[in-house]
Amino acid sequence: MFRRLYGASPLHLLALIATVLIAGAAVVGWFDSFPGPTAAKVLAWFVGAIVAHDLVLLPLYSLIDRITLGRPAARRSWIAYVRIPALLSGLLFLVFFPEILRLGDHTFFAASGFHQRVYLARYLLTCAALFALSGVAYAVSLRRRRQRVRPRTPPSRHRSPPAP
Amino acid sequence: MTRPPGPFRREFWRSPLRGPWLTAVFSAALLVAIPIVAVTGFLSNDAYYPRLGTNSVGRPLGPLDVYLFPFPTHPSWVYALNQGLHVTIGLAAVPIVLAKLWSVIPKLFEWPPLRSPAHALERLSLALLVGGALFEFATGILNIEYSYLFGFFFTTAHYYGAWVFTAAFVFHAAIKLGTMRRALAARRTMAVLRERLEDTRPEPVDNELVPVAPAAPSMSRRALLGTVGAGSLFLLVQGAGQSIGGPLRGLALFAPRSLHRGGPNGFPVNRTALAAQITSHQVGSGWRLRLRAGNRTATLSRDELLRMPQRTYDLPIACVEGWSTTQRWTGVPVSDLARLVGVDGRFSVETRSIADNGVFDSATLSAHQTDDARTLLAMRVNGVDLSLDHGYPARVIGPGIPGVHCTKWAGTMTFERA
Repeated sequence: MFRRLYGASPLHLLALIATVLIAGAAVVGWFDSFPGPTAAKVLAWFVGAIVAHDLVLLPLYSLIDRITLGRPAARRSWIAYVRIPALLSGLLFLVFFPEILRLGDHTFFAASGFHQRVYLARYLLTCAALFALSGVAYAVSLRRRRQRVRPRTPPSRHRSPPAP
Repeated sequence: MTRPPGPFRREFWRSPLRGPWLTAVFSAALLVAIPIVAVTGFLSNDAYYPRLGTNSVGRPLGPLDVYLFPFPTHPSWVYALNQGLHVTIGLAAVPIVLAKLWSVIPKLFEWPPLRSPAHALERLSLALLVGGALFEFATGILNIEYSYLFGFFFTTAHYYGAWVFTAAFVFHAAIKLGTMRRALAARRTMAVLRERLEDTRPEPVDNELVPVAPAAPSMSRRALLGTVGAGSLFLLVQGAGQSIGGPLRGLALFAPRSLHRGGPNGFPVNRTALAAQITSHQVGSGWRLRLRAGNRTATLSRDELLRMPQRTYDLPIACVEGWSTTQRWTGVPVSDLARLVGVDGRFSVETRSIADNGVFDSATLSAHQTDDARTLLAMRVNGVDLSLDHGYPARVIGPGIPGVHCTKWAGTMTFERA
């Protein structure tokens, strides 16, 4: 009977009530510790984080992927070699953009006595290394594939190298 | 009720990789990572002893402040390990969280949006889970990079956010554990990992995550898992490098604290003398350390402190932000200072800095922390005087103590019997 009305077992409901109450106590904690407008800003960041990820960041990278991919079946051999370094570069930017863009330089200098200016160059060089490594991996895979396709054909000295 | 167009239609989601098995792989990884991050986070709060003095930095204690045991002081690097794990595993979890959210995004647009009271409440708990995760990761990462874009006090916001996230995580893990195990058991992991791009097919199960109109695969599952794993490993090295130090520090190109100078005083600081506005006049020959216990007081010059029996220990400075560095400190045990003002038994001590423009200009060490003979008021490090940036003329240092509680430029120590 309960299951038909509620849609799950009573245990589910009890655990859910406990979860919501703990979360509620945490929200009360925010409002007890901060002046009203600041606590509201915390809640705005909480909700904003969901919107920023689910409705901005994820659609954005999916869209970029879909546009750059075009028709995947047509030329899929090279896609991974661009997509993987691009994904990793994007991840590094997402995690380290505050220091790459020196958004905390003032506070960082007060704390450590250093500036954040080294990170932009490190980031660019790391991305360069990722794409270069990926290029090498692609070249190796092309070579392997050619050897697989024509295992018996003796190599011709007069053949021009195929376009990548 | 007809389905609205766009993402609410199942044909909209086309990746052939999405499916319960893939989601379960990410879930299994997070089921290990998130509990480590959560437990070390709460333990770190414990290590701050928020009940003492001004240690809670303005956060009124509430019913969530439950402390089961005092944070240990053995081994001396216990807090360095705790925070190293918290930040390093937290960083390494970022790509897994992103991949997991990507893998389940069609569920955000499921139709009908509410099937039953249980389903409605479960979706509310998912808002707490996803919001809690993103809030905690975003504020934590901004904090370790010193970028306070959010404009509220980090510690308090992150602490209560952790309660929301943890509560929702435990609930989610409890109700989904069976789903995850069934999904993992449905396929042989090694067989999936051997699939090449041309063998990649949608998961052969009827599930809302599996596309009804899949696109041709453009990436194998092993390539996706490999990419997520590589990103996770790279971030792990960044965190581990600034936590473990030594040659690993050089690998941590992006770690906020990969930068340091040479020499005995070259290790990182968390607040420069310049930022604390310490003047040479304040720390010159006129500097005195004031000791207080009830109405007994004593005053000591730096020379008098140096004439007391000195102890030398290797102790880490371990920052809540996950970096740490072990150095050789020389100074006077705080219990010897306590005896000068008549405190013989156990005590807590509040050290107030001569700096007075920062959040942590005063910190209270618990009786458990001062019980340890290695808790010192240090005057020297690595065989030389402390530099001004490291707290000259004298600073607190001890085992298992969060870095910001190792008060620099000590001015007054107030002892209280425990």
